[in-house]
Amino acid sequence: MDQDQILKDIKNFSKDVRKIILRMSFKAGSASAHVGGALSMTDIISVLFKYKMKNLNKDKERDRFILSKGHACLAYYSALHLIGKISNNELDTFEKDNSNLAGHPVKNPELGIDFSNGSLGMGLSLGIGLSISSKKKKENFNVYVVLGDGECNEGSVWEAAMSAPKFKLNNLNVIVDKNNFQQTGKNFDIMNLDNLSNKWKSFGWDVEEIDGHDIVKLKNYFDKKKDSEKPKLLVANTIKGKGFSFTENNNDWHHAIVTEKLYNEAMKEIK
Amino acid sequence: MSNTQKYKKAFIEGLGVDEKIITDKLKYNDIPEWDSIGHMTLMSNLEEAFSITIETDDIVDFGSFKKGMDILGKYKISF
Amino acid sequence: MEVNSRNIKLWSSIGPRAAFGLSALELVKKYSDLMVLTCDVSTSAGLDRFRKQYPDNYVDLGIAEQNMIGVAAGLASEKFKVITTTFAPFQVMRCCEQIKVNLGYMKEKITMVGLASGLVLGNFGYTHCCVEDIGILRSIPNIKIISPSDSLETIKAIEASLNDEESCYIRLTGGTNNPIINKDDYKFEIGKSIVLEKGEDILFISSGAILSECLKASNELRKKNINCSVVNMHTIKPIDDNIINKYSTKARLVVTVEEHNIIGGLGSAVSEVLSKKKNSPPLLVLGIRDEYSKSGSYKFLKEINRLTSEKIIEDVQKKINE
Repeated sequence: MDQDQILKDIKNFSKDVRKIILRMSFKAGSASAHVGGALSMTDIISVLFKYKMKNLNKDKERDRFILSKGHACLAYYSALHLIGKISNNELDTFEKDNSNLAGHPVKNPELGIDFSNGSLGMGLSLGIGLSISSKKKKENFNVYVVLGDGECNEGSVWEAAMSAPKFKLNNLNVIVDKNNFQQTGKNFDIMNLDNLSNKWKSFGWDVEEIDGHDIVKLKNYFDKKKDSEKPKLLVANTIKGKGFSFTENNNDWHHAIVTEKLYNEAMKEIK
Repeated sequence: MSNTQKYKKAFIEGLGVDEKIITDKLKYNDIPEWDSIGHMTLMSNLEEAFSITIETDDIVDFGSFKKGMDILGKYKISF
Repeated sequence: MEVNSRNIKLWSSIGPRAAFGLSALELVKKYSDLMVLTCDVSTSAGLDRFRKQYPDNYVDLGIAEQNMIGVAAGLASEKFKVITTTFAPFQVMRCCEQIKVNLGYMKEKITMVGLASGLVLGNFGYTHCCVEDIGILRSIPNIKIISPSDSLETIKAIEASLNDEESCYIRLTGGTNNPIINKDDYKFEIGKSIVLEKGEDILFISSGAILSECLKASNELRKKNINCSVVNMHTIKPIDDNIINKYSTKARLVVTVEEHNIIGGLGSAVSEVLSKKKNSPPLLVLGIRDEYSKSGSYKFLKEINRLTSEKIIEDVQKKINE
């Protein structure tokens, strides 16, 4: 397929994800939503769901995705909708009573949600279990786990990080959505992560760091043949709330209400 | 069956090994089969073979084929 | 593994942990998709042979319990039969939230074996004892809790849990030369308690290695013309309320005995059943009285926590004479 067309498709997918994130947040009303962290990872999830991940509509050999930073589920639900797993009607139930789409993902294989996430620091271990399984059963699927940078405060992340190289999990791909903020402020002020890339490298991972909104760079990263036995870590430098003028780098949008006025402004911006 | 034959048989069956492995130089942990679990199985076999109950201290001291014969002497088993 | 009196004696002498290790060796021959995960405890769990003979079925995560549960859940989600094990306090408490999310909420099916629960490691202090595990896990939905009374029951419980649809926590108590409660082979069913003795005066309900003290107490009380029923409530969740209701109807007193805090464990579970009855006899809950005593041997801790048959008899008689 034509490379330009592929890039165009991914960019359009990403635009659609942003539109749906805002629409769902608006419809959630006073329940409010974790908008900032969903927008920062939108381009990452777009490259994965639109391009890189294989066999998403199969059962056995499909690549697996784990949203360890579960509060960013708006991006996840949007991507699942765009690949045909979650209907529009279902999207409208987000955070409503008795909904399948809660404020953090709840396991629902029919909707394409493999695991319940939201309590930070647990997704990488799940990914390791899946990667080990894939190798044991020779099923050859890849596993993609998205972590938050604040999430890397959790010790359980480092237990997992220490173990993955031991098992030579070269089918495990972790992306840290490094938007430099966590709930109540900057990572630097709350709990400084210092040089995150070096930390993962020292744990034995194959680490790279790129702009998490540059679709070309993201695509090239995932296209690269990586020969080592090491599990892969991408530090994606992102902007929390990326995509709309009023949300970008504004930590008020970690979790906030999208009013009708803001929604309309946002839709004008994204045309 | 003589006591010596009974003793050897308890080793062969208790540790699950070939007859030729059981020499009088054999010591605990010399072979993978004579680990802590193998040891307890061996003790259980000896107790049954000689109708005795081996005391805990003796179980702990029973560190080799040869030593075991000395220990069983306490229980009036002669070889 | 053939269940005969020789093996029963052997399993009792090696204790429940080594019996678990031996049974794992047999289970992996039957279930090739069995995976055993540990946190640097192969020798403590009798799994050294398993580790050497079946390295592809064994995963050591090092001293990292939270990671162990997550990895186990990932494997379970891909339909492996999974057993995790480490010492009980770390198995249940260090990774408690992972247990809640992965086993309780997501229902990923895992058998967790808690080594040396209760007081058996008393010489190491209470960091290595576990008197809280039942209370903690009872409040997490979708997890069964079993406390086997002896080594044979341990072996039966582990295989039964592998075939159950729910996750299971198996709490091992007692050490080497574990008293034999089940002298012959018998049918073990999760959730179905076993009536070991029948008597109309007092109903003893207990589980785990401490059940042996109940049986001793019951024997002594019979000599004083106090006849006791003794029920092995090996499955604490789901509890066998049928048997509790049936045997408490005529009893003067119900007594629960556990190597666990009197808050939250077997006694609490039984009280929840009795409180629904119209005319329930009084309940005496014996166990650790919500405190951490000084450390010492298993024998010493049983004595100061009033969990020996002599102390149990004293407390029962005191209650009857109230």
